[in-house]
Amino acid sequence: MGNHSSLLLREDEIATIQQETGFTPNQIERLYSRFTSLDKGDNGFLCREDFHRIPELAINPLGDRIVNAFFCESGSEDQLNFRQFMKVLAHFRPVKKDKENKLNSREGKLRFAFKMYDTDNDEQISKDELLGVLQMMVGDNISEEQLVSIAERTIVEADKDGDQMISFQEFCAALERTDVEQKMSIRFLN
Amino acid sequence: MNVLEIVKQRNSSHSIMGTRRTLVLLVLFVLASELAHNTTALSEVPLHGHSTIQYVDSPIGSPAGVVTLPSSVHHAEDRSGLAEAVSSPSVSTGDHLGEAGGHHGVAGEQGTAGGHGGAHEGIHVFTAEFARVEIPFIISLWIFCASLAKIGFHMAPKLSSIFPESCLLIVVGIVIGLLLFHTNSAGVSPLTPTTFFFYMLPPIILDAGYFMPNRLFFDHLGTILLFAVIGTIWNTVSIGLALWGCGLTGLYGFDLPLLDTFLFSALISAVDPVAVLAVFEEIHVNEVLYIVVFGESLLNDAVTVVLYNMFDAYVGMGQENIKYTDILSGFASFLVVAIGGTLIGVIWGFLTGFVTRFTNHVRVIEPIFIFVMSYLAYLNAEIFHMSGILAITFCGITMKNYVEGNISPKSHTTIKYAMKMLSSSSETIIFMFLGVNTVNDQHDWNTAFILLTILFCSFFRALGCIMLTELANRFRLHKLNRVEKFVMSYGGLRGAVAFALVLLVDPKKVKKQPLFVTATISVVYFTVFFQGITIKPLVKYLKVKRANKFEKTMNERLHEKLVDYTMAGMEDILGHTGNLKIRDKFKQIDNKYIRPCLIREHAAHEPKILETYSKLTMRDAMDFMRRNATSSNLSGGNSESMAVLFRNYTANNLNNSASIAQMDQGWNLDIGELAYSPSARDLSDAKVHHMLSEELWKPYRRSSRRLSYSRHAVNDQDLSSSHHVNHNMHMHIRRMVSETVRKQHSKRVKRHRDPHANGSGEGGSRNSSKSVSFKTLKENGLEKKLHDDYLHAVIKEVSEAEERNISTDDTGAQATGSTEDLDGDGAGGITFTARKASREAHPSTPTAVEMQLPWKRDDADDMSTFAIKQSEFPLWVDNKEYNNYYSPTNTFLGELDKKKTNHPSVIDIFTKDRTADSSEHGNNTLPSTAKSFDVTVTIPEENSKEDGEDEVKKVTNDKDCHA
Repeated sequence: MGNHSSLLLREDEIATIQQETGFTPNQIERLYSRFTSLDKGDNGFLCREDFHRIPELAINPLGDRIVNAFFCESGSEDQLNFRQFMKVLAHFRPVKKDKENKLNSREGKLRFAFKMYDTDNDEQISKDELLGVLQMMVGDNISEEQLVSIAERTIVEADKDGDQMISFQEFCAALERTDVEQKMSIRFLN
Repeated sequence: MNVLEIVKQRNSSHSIMGTRRTLVLLVLFVLASELAHNTTALSEVPLHGHSTIQYVDSPIGSPAGVVTLPSSVHHAEDRSGLAEAVSSPSVSTGDHLGEAGGHHGVAGEQGTAGGHGGAHEGIHVFTAEFARVEIPFIISLWIFCASLAKIGFHMAPKLSSIFPESCLLIVVGIVIGLLLFHTNSAGVSPLTPTTFFFYMLPPIILDAGYFMPNRLFFDHLGTILLFAVIGTIWNTVSIGLALWGCGLTGLYGFDLPLLDTFLFSALISAVDPVAVLAVFEEIHVNEVLYIVVFGESLLNDAVTVVLYNMFDAYVGMGQENIKYTDILSGFASFLVVAIGGTLIGVIWGFLTGFVTRFTNHVRVIEPIFIFVMSYLAYLNAEIFHMSGILAITFCGITMKNYVEGNISPKSHTTIKYAMKMLSSSSETIIFMFLGVNTVNDQHDWNTAFILLTILFCSFFRALGCIMLTELANRFRLHKLNRVEKFVMSYGGLRGAVAFALVLLVDPKKVKKQPLFVTATISVVYFTVFFQGITIKPLVKYLKVKRANKFEKTMNERLHEKLVDYTMAGMEDILGHTGNLKIRDKFKQIDNKYIRPCLIREHAAHEPKILETYSKLTMRDAMDFMRRNATSSNLSGGNSESMAVLFRNYTANNLNNSASIAQMDQGWNLDIGELAYSPSARDLSDAKVHHMLSEELWKPYRRSSRRLSYSRHAVNDQDLSSSHHVNHNMHMHIRRMVSETVRKQHSKRVKRHRDPHANGSGEGGSRNSSKSVSFKTLKENGLEKKLHDDYLHAVIKEVSEAEERNISTDDTGAQATGSTEDLDGDGAGGITFTARKASREAHPSTPTAVEMQLPWKRDDADDMSTFAIKQSEFPLWVDNKEYNNYYSPTNTFLGELDKKKTNHPSVIDIFTKDRTADSSEHGNNTLPSTAKSFDVTVTIPEENSKEDGEDEVKKVTNDKDCHA
C-alpha cells in the first residue's frame, strides 16, 4: 500500500478488506485509526518497533510471539500493512453462524494458537518449542527440569501417533472440549 | 427478654426445673447402677476430697418420674429467651460459665457421678439437670435431626431425584413444626433473624465465595452486576408499584400504604443465594448460566440491604416527612454499603493471606484463620451496616489464591471439608427451620394479596430478565439466548434471606407485618417447591447446555493460558480495555507486589500450570500403583529395576560355580543386552548391603513425633509445600506412563523403530521385545533406563496378567513371601509349584538359595524357559536408599564380557560359544548406547522355546549342553 498522502481509506480498499475479513466498514474505519496511531512514522505500515512501543505488550510474556505471529502470518519480514494487519485480526472476530469465514472459524483460531508455538513452521510442536513457551509464561522461578517434565507430560498427553510431537490435528483434538470460539474472540467495538 | 435475666430466673428455679426435666433414660441408669457404683464411689470420695462440693439440688429421693419431652415443657418466656440466647451465645455462654463456676463441684464430679450419694450429706448420686445444657443441647439436636433427615432422603433415591433437597427439608421442617405445635409449644421460633444472619448465613456465603470460580465470575462480572443492581431495583420498584396499584382498587380489602408495600417488595425481590445454590447445584446447568444467576444472588445483597434499610427508615419517618435528600442519601448509602463491604472483604482477604504466610510451623491452626478471619470480615462489615455478604464473598475470593499457596495440602483438605460441612449443615437447618417456622397461628392469609405477590414476583422477574439480557448481550461475546433467559428468570428463587428480613420488620411500625410474613413464606414455598421441582425437567426438556465437569488436561491448561496471553496482547494492540487486559494488569501487579508479600514461597507466575501438572502426575502415580497393586509383587514403582539388577549380582556372587551357566543366561538376557557391567566394588557393596539388610529388619526412620510428643504437631513435613512436585518420583512415573501411552497408540511404529526386534515378524509374534530410546538421559541415566524398561515389562505383564487367571497373582505373592522362610530353615515347606504362573507374570530371577540348593531347582523347566528371574525378592531390594545409588555407571559398559572370558571356570568351556556371541552382541549395542541410549530388553513369554528367534535358541542350546 504505502499510501502516505491520506490517512483515510479508499472505498475500494475497505471493500476488499471487508470481503476478505468480514469486518464491517465501521469496524474497519475504527481499526484503521488504531493502525495509524500505532504507526508512529506515518509510513503506512507497521514495523516491529511500532508494536514494541505498546507498553502493555512489552511486558506481556508472550509479546514477542504475538508480534511474530503478525509478521509470520503476513509473510513479510518487518513491514505490515493495513490489509495484513486486518487479516491477522480477523482471526479474532467472534464466530457468527450465518457468516462463514475461514479466518475466524474454529480452525482458523486454533491454527493461530498453534502457530504461536510452532516457531519453525513445520506443522509440529516439538518439545523444545513447548518448552520455550512454557519458559516465557511460567517464568524463571521454576527449575528447568520441572519445566521439561511438564513439557514432556503435555506432549505425551496429546501425542496420538507417537512421534513425540504435537501435530495440528493432535492440537485440535487436545482442545476439543475448550470453547475456543469464545475464548479467542474479541468484541470489536462497532 | 434479656438473656441475663433469663439465666438468673432459670438459676432460681433450678431445683424444680432440674428434677422436672430429668430425662427418663438417665434416671433409669441411676436406679440400675446405683448399687453397683456405690461401693466404688465410697472408696473414691476420700481421694477426691473436694471441700467445695456444695451444690445441693434435688436429692435422689425427689420425684424424678415427672419426665416430659424437653421441648414441650418450655414456657413462653423461656422460649424467647432461648431464641435470644441462641442469637448471642457469647453472652449466654459467659453467663453459663459463671453459673457453672458456682457449681464447680458438680462439673468436676459429673464424671464419677455414680455415687457420692452415700458418703457425704448433700452430695447426691445423680442429678439430671437439663436446663444447664438446654441451649447447646437443642442446637445440637436440631443439627442432628436435620442431618438425619438428609441421610434419609438419600436412602430414597426416587424421592431425591424428583424433589430437590430443599423441598424435602422444608417438608420435614413442617412435620416437626406440627409436632411441636401440637405438643403445646406454639410460637416456637428457632429461626430468628439474628441467628440466621449471624450464624447460618456466613458459612454458606463463605463456601460460595471461597470456592467461587474466580475466572468465570470476573469474566461475567458485568452481567452479574447488571442483574444484581439494576435487576433488583427494577424488581423492587415494579413489584411495589404493582402491588400498591392493585391495593388502590380495594382488592385486598384493607389499606396498604405505599411505603409498607415498598418495604415488602424490597425484601421479596432479592434472589436468595441459599435457595439458588440448593437448586442449581442439583440441575447442573452450564457454568455461564450458573455463575450469572448465582453471582446475582450473592451480589444483590448489597442492594437488598440498602433498599430494605431505606424503606424501613422511610416507614419510620412517615411518608410526609421524606425529603428528596433522603432519597439521595439512600443512593449514596448504596454505594457505601456495596463498595465498603467489598473493600472490607478484600482487605480481610489479604490479611488472611498474610497471616497464613507464617503458619508453616503451626499447621494445625491454619484452617481456623480462614474461617475466623472471613467471619470477622463479615462482622466487621456488619458493624458499619455494610453488606456482610459482599464482604465475606470477596474475602473468600481474595484470600483463596494466596491461602492456597501457603497452607499445607492437609489443611487444604480440612478447609474444604469443614467448609462444605458447615455450609451444607447450615443450609439444611435453614430450610428445616423455614418449615418449622411456617407452623404457627399468627398467619394472616389474604388470597388476593398473596396470589398477586407470587404473580408479580414471577412476572417482573421474567420481564426484567428479558430486558436486562438484551442490554447485556450488547456487550457480551457469548450472547444469552432465549432458553438461557428463561432459566435465568425461572431460577430467581426466593428463600430464607427474605424470610429473615420480613421477621425483622417491626409489627408496630408496619401494621400488616403478619400478612407480609405469610406472603413471604408463600412466595418462598412457591419458588422452592414449584419452580425448584419443575426446573429440573424443564432444563432437560429445553435442552439447556449442561455443565460438563472435567479436570483440565495439561494441554488444555497450557493452551488456554497461551490463548489468554495472546488475547491480552491483542487487546493491547487494539488499544481497548477489555476484560483480559484488566486481568492481565492485575496479574502483573499481583505477581510483582502482592504475591511476594502474601505467599511464603513465591514460586512461579503461572501456579495453575504447575498445579495441574502435579495433580495429573499424582493421578498417574496413583493409577499406576492401583493397577500394579494386585498383580505385581512390587514394593514401589521406582525401586524395582535396580532391585532386579542387584538380585542378579548377588545371585552371581553367591554361586560362582554350580549354576553359573544358568546365571549367565540371565545375565545375557537382562544385563548383557543392556551392556551393563558392575564394578567389583558395586558387587561387594551389594553383597554387604544384602547381608546387612537381611540381618537388620527394615531400619525405618521413625517420625520425630515419637521422640518428642507434641499434641498439636501435625507431622506433614513431607507435604509441606503443595506446589512442589516430587520431581524424581514423577519423572519415573511420567516416563513410564508416557511409554505405555505411546505403545498403546502405536504398536506398529514401535516395531518399526525397534532394530532389535525379533527377526521373523510372524514367528516372533508371541515373543515380545521392547526397545526404548531415551534421548535426554543425563550422565547417570542408566538406572533410569533400566527402571523404565523394567516398568514397561511390568506394565505389559500386568495388562496381560489381567486377562489371565487370578491365580497368577496368588502364586506370585506366595513366591515373594517365601524368601525369608527359606533363609531361615531351608525347609521344603514352601512350594514353588507356581513357577510357571509367576513366570508369566514376571521376568523372574531365581534367588541365591534356589540356585544353591539343587532340589530347589527345576532344571528342566528352567532350561526350556529361561526367564525365571524375579519370582522372589530378597528383603533388601525394598530399601530405597540403596537403590538410589547411581553406582553402576556407563563407564564400565561392555567390560562384562572381557571379565567373563578371563575367568578360568569349568563352565566357560561349555559356554564359549555363548560368550563369543554375547561379546559380539555387546559390541553391536555399544555404539548405539553411547549415541542415543537405545536399550533393548527381550522379554520372552511362556512359549519362547518355540520361537524362531536366533538368540533365544542359542541360549536354550547352551543350557541343554550344560545339563
